[in-house]
Amino acid sequence: MTAIPVPKKTRLLPAIPRRMILPSILLAALILIPFAAPLITGADPVQISVRDRLALPSWEHWLGQDEFGRDRLARVLYGGQVSLTVAFVATTLACIFGTLLGLIGAYFRGPFEFVTTRLSDVVLCFPPILLALLVVTLFGPGAGTLVAVLSVLYFPSFARIAFSEALRVSSLDFVEASRALGTPSHRIVLGTILPNIAGPVSVQYSLTAAAAITIESGLSFLGLGVVPPAPSWGQMIRGARQFMNQDPLGILIPCVALILTIYAINFFCDRLRDTLDPKGALGGGKDETSVPVAARVTPSDETADVVASIRGLRLQLMSPGGPVDVIQDVSLTLRANQCTALVGESGSGKSLSSLALMGLLPGAIHQAGGALRLRRKSGQMVDLGTLTAKELEDVRGNDVAMIFQEPMTSLNPIHKVGAQMVEAILSHRPMPYADARTRAIDLLELVGINEPARRFDGYPHEMSGGMRQRVMIAMALTCEPRLLIADEPTTALDVTIQAEIIELLQRLRTEYADGLSLLFISHNLGIVSEIADRVAVMYSGQVVEEGPVSQVLNSPHHPYTVALLESMPSSHEELHSARGDRLRAISGTPPLPDARPSGCAFRDRCPIAIPSCADAPPPLFNSADGDRQVRCFRAPEAGSEAAR
Amino acid sequence: MTPLLEVQNLSKSYPVGRKGLFGKRMMQVLREVSLSVQPGEVLGLVGESGSGKSTIGKAVLRLIEADSGTVRFDGQDLSTISHADLRRLRKDMQIIFQDPYASLDPRKTIRAVLSEALDTHKLHMGTARADRLTELMTMVGLSPAFLDRRPHEFSGGQRQRIGIARALAVEPKFIVCDEAVSALDVSIQAQVLNLLADLRAMTGISLLFISHDLSVVRYISDRVMVLYLGKVMEVGPADQIHFAPRHPYTAALISAEPSLKHESNRIRLTGEIPSPLTPPSGCVFRSRCPYALPACAETVPPLRDMGEGRLKACIRDDIL
Amino acid sequence: MLAFLLRRVAAAIVMLLVVGTIIFSLLVIVPGDPAELLLSTGGGSATQEAIQNLRIEMGLDKPILAQYFSFLINTAQFEFGTSIVDGSSIADAIALRLPRTLEIIGVGAVLALIVAIPVGTLAGLRGGGRFDVIASGVNALLTSIPGFVVGTLFIYFFAQVLRVLPAGGYVAFSQDPAQHLQMLVLPATTVALHLATIIFRMTRASVLEMRGHDWVRTATAKGLRRSLVVRRHILRNALGPVITVVGLQLGILLGSTVLIEFVYNWPGLSGMLVTAVEQRDYPTVRAIILTVAAIFIGINLVIDILYSLLDPRIRLK
Repeated sequence: MTAIPVPKKTRLLPAIPRRMILPSILLAALILIPFAAPLITGADPVQISVRDRLALPSWEHWLGQDEFGRDRLARVLYGGQVSLTVAFVATTLACIFGTLLGLIGAYFRGPFEFVTTRLSDVVLCFPPILLALLVVTLFGPGAGTLVAVLSVLYFPSFARIAFSEALRVSSLDFVEASRALGTPSHRIVLGTILPNIAGPVSVQYSLTAAAAITIESGLSFLGLGVVPPAPSWGQMIRGARQFMNQDPLGILIPCVALILTIYAINFFCDRLRDTLDPKGALGGGKDETSVPVAARVTPSDETADVVASIRGLRLQLMSPGGPVDVIQDVSLTLRANQCTALVGESGSGKSLSSLALMGLLPGAIHQAGGALRLRRKSGQMVDLGTLTAKELEDVRGNDVAMIFQEPMTSLNPIHKVGAQMVEAILSHRPMPYADARTRAIDLLELVGINEPARRFDGYPHEMSGGMRQRVMIAMALTCEPRLLIADEPTTALDVTIQAEIIELLQRLRTEYADGLSLLFISHNLGIVSEIADRVAVMYSGQVVEEGPVSQVLNSPHHPYTVALLESMPSSHEELHSARGDRLRAISGTPPLPDARPSGCAFRDRCPIAIPSCADAPPPLFNSADGDRQVRCFRAPEAGSEAAR
Repeated sequence: MTPLLEVQNLSKSYPVGRKGLFGKRMMQVLREVSLSVQPGEVLGLVGESGSGKSTIGKAVLRLIEADSGTVRFDGQDLSTISHADLRRLRKDMQIIFQDPYASLDPRKTIRAVLSEALDTHKLHMGTARADRLTELMTMVGLSPAFLDRRPHEFSGGQRQRIGIARALAVEPKFIVCDEAVSALDVSIQAQVLNLLADLRAMTGISLLFISHDLSVVRYISDRVMVLYLGKVMEVGPADQIHFAPRHPYTAALISAEPSLKHESNRIRLTGEIPSPLTPPSGCVFRSRCPYALPACAETVPPLRDMGEGRLKACIRDDIL
Repeated sequence: MLAFLLRRVAAAIVMLLVVGTIIFSLLVIVPGDPAELLLSTGGGSATQEAIQNLRIEMGLDKPILAQYFSFLINTAQFEFGTSIVDGSSIADAIALRLPRTLEIIGVGAVLALIVAIPVGTLAGLRGGGRFDVIASGVNALLTSIPGFVVGTLFIYFFAQVLRVLPAGGYVAFSQDPAQHLQMLVLPATTVALHLATIIFRMTRASVLEMRGHDWVRTATAKGLRRSLVVRRHILRNALGPVITVVGLQLGILLGSTVLIEFVYNWPGLSGMLVTAVEQRDYPTVRAIILTVAAIFIGINLVIDILYSLLDPRIRLK
């Protein structure tokens, strides 16, 4: 779905996002304070004073003195210097070496790829601390050994991240474009790929720095890291352990320093990750669907053949700048035995309107007005807003079913096709499993799947896109719904497969499901003219024209419908570019929902707009026979309505 | 006239998954495809998924290496050319991609995107640069004031125009348009098609126009080549292929195209497109062909010259 | 499936061989004479005689290839030789201590899974909500406390201040079950805490990702009960990545328990390892690390197979 507009950014260089300010300050402070040690205290961290062992805090020694009478504040600060230096030097080395290796592996592939991935696999087989201990055994403890060990330990994770990210980026078209331009390899790797993988690598950098501090302090705690008397936090905890009873401060101070530092790095890292990949922040804690709202007035114009109706639907997107109307005013009446097509370009709101009818709107969008009504199998017309969550579950799949655009992702890859059909049957019709299975296999056969019994036990990935869409259709039909919503069901399919699916839908509509109402959403007017009885054309969150499909497509009254038809090369088979013919395209692009022009939303692209179009939004004008509606001041309907 | 691009017997297969313990399963996506593009000509490549049309586009630019076959561009054999010469030759052949969102580096300004092309080939250096950038933006119908913006500030149609400007920047003789208008909404698609038609009239550039949309291809191309499972099915002048197809697959493809005019005598195919891993023997189309004979399973039908610049790979002449 | 299994087992064996080779070659690439290096603790140099004895004992006098093959063959038979410090059998010592280490990891892992998976799932389902913010906040804090710090603080609060649990030590279960369990509580909880933070994070992220997939919308559109949608179409899919992380972490834990065992004086592999490192008893260190790496590779093999059962697509890759 493309209906959610992206907020526009206009700055040239992105400023530091607000969420990053606090973690950045905290991290910078915790890193800088240890290095400002000489400014904070004049005490010597290794100066022993046996007389004052375990002395309590005093004016000279703010944090007291340790088991050898050394100044604890100085030891914490200088210890921090050692820990941070070891961790950051090692992480930086690992980052440079690992990222380089990953980049080379991903861009040049072949043997480079093999070395990069295998080398990482091998090093990752060793638990980090053990590998460190192995090296310490051979080379003896010390800060130098630690840096060497930690950088060897962590370069594989950088190589891995850089490799997989660079692989992803280099498959993108803009890298291919650079290659096609003849840009030299080193410029592509360093100038195009590296900046695009910098995000994930910097997240890995902070993660690694935190891990390195943990390991450094752990080894020092075992007495195998930094060599005494040089101070380090791990050693301070080790030393204070024996005196825990008399002097709890001794363990608490280095523990707090260590925890705070690691926390600051992790905090920074979390925020950085969120900022780079904001998808986790969506939803605001609500469940992912937003609840339909009951209408205040009950419409009375519902004859018995009305299966569903949308009246004056208004949907808002909750954006930081305030609510934005993504759907302004949509009304549709769906009747039995009828196929209604909803047509429009991406972002026109056609998918959202249909999702609203399923009670499946994304959490960020809420219903600000209008009514969604549906006829249940009992014959009763219900307002979706008055139903409980439980009742909505009962309605979905049973009274109204839906087929989606992407057959490749609409089925769960880890469950068998049959199991996914059976669970749909059993959730509305309790019956023995064997019966549900028979029913599912019958339906698979009905939608034209060969060897349905074998496919029943197969997985979705064993099927082609066309077959999966057939399965989706079979699944939608399991409970014989009165209304079937098909959201661009053939857009992702090949032309010949698309024709088969359209034919299948037509056949099912006439032969199998008597009385079924089909809501068919598409951007393709050709398909619409083949399948639909009525069509509603949407532009920027409104229905701009509605009527019988033959009338609307043969003599469109809204200038936007005219433009859509004119733009299609398939409706101008006499034109050819080489003969100097041009398609009669309209200029401009559809407006974003938060930047619609005043008055008529289409007027800035409209070839027949007049100044008064800017004054007020046009209402839907009815045709004389009431069968067509158009939202345009210049349409014939506007004249006839005024005359009445 | 010597062709600008001449491709002979191009084949390509990719490893996919594994077979047994150590084996690799190979998927053949191109089977001995030959084609040529004359200077100033637009050749349309049509096919469904698995037809190999995008692979051809990338292989003729040597963005991927073909397994066998030759590609001659402007008289030079691309498969034997040195890396340095190939880089120089890239000035003359460019590509426009399908996805307007993936085809521009989100971190670069439009100025940087266009300059990368000019810098690489040392074109319009120094003071001439600004004029050239303005000229390029105007050519594709964008305001030169947009030069310092980044891709996320543009709509899909505008990005596609930027992609076209990038390809035009080095004044190429030949551009591969890989589904260049497929991701666009129909009103925007018409704008971009008109732009391509204008550029072609203005500069005399050659295009290899790859698309799954037959009516778009008919409108923009001089000649059309129809592909199915990596094999050429039919070649011929665009209008003739569209209005009088001679190969059953072309006919089926055209009648499957949704249109506002309802045709009564449609050729409907049944079944799925076979996997390129396990193509049918003989004619690859026979498993779905309504006219298939037993003989179709035995030999691969050759691409026969039918006169009037038309070729087809079908043994039957008694149909259509 | 069989081909997949065989490929994975073969890959694991190759990996073991590579790991063994690396560990062996570390001794070869060390500058100078390894025997001399190992005996030169604390700066003083050992006698020529002692060095020569060690060389013979470790087989360092033989040609490198001969050393390499006898090392591989011995290792494959779990024949790790004897400690160069006290001459005791290394294999016996490992056999005695390894189960103790595995015990705290096992108990800790079970505790962690029981807590972290439900909490992580709930946080993921309510991503961005109050519960998620609180749970993730607490988790971020807990993640930042290294295991040995948790241990030290636990001992201070539970053993010193509250005096409800022993500060450390070990009694065999067969000797005194109650005492054994009491002593197990703190080390196992410490392991669990560390593991739980990672499982929580992974579960939450995985659930958050899975709940956005199209098939979840399909399941909801079918009219499935919410609980069923969550269980079958979110959680089942989310488990794959979680299992992988648990496997990787269990392997890493085999290393980090060194610190936790040290804190609690738990006589697992760690005491042996730390002593061996301090005394530069290379054969012992080498044997322990080989054992752990082998277990690590074994765990990953099991995880791979489990994952392929959870997700049929993996078998094709």
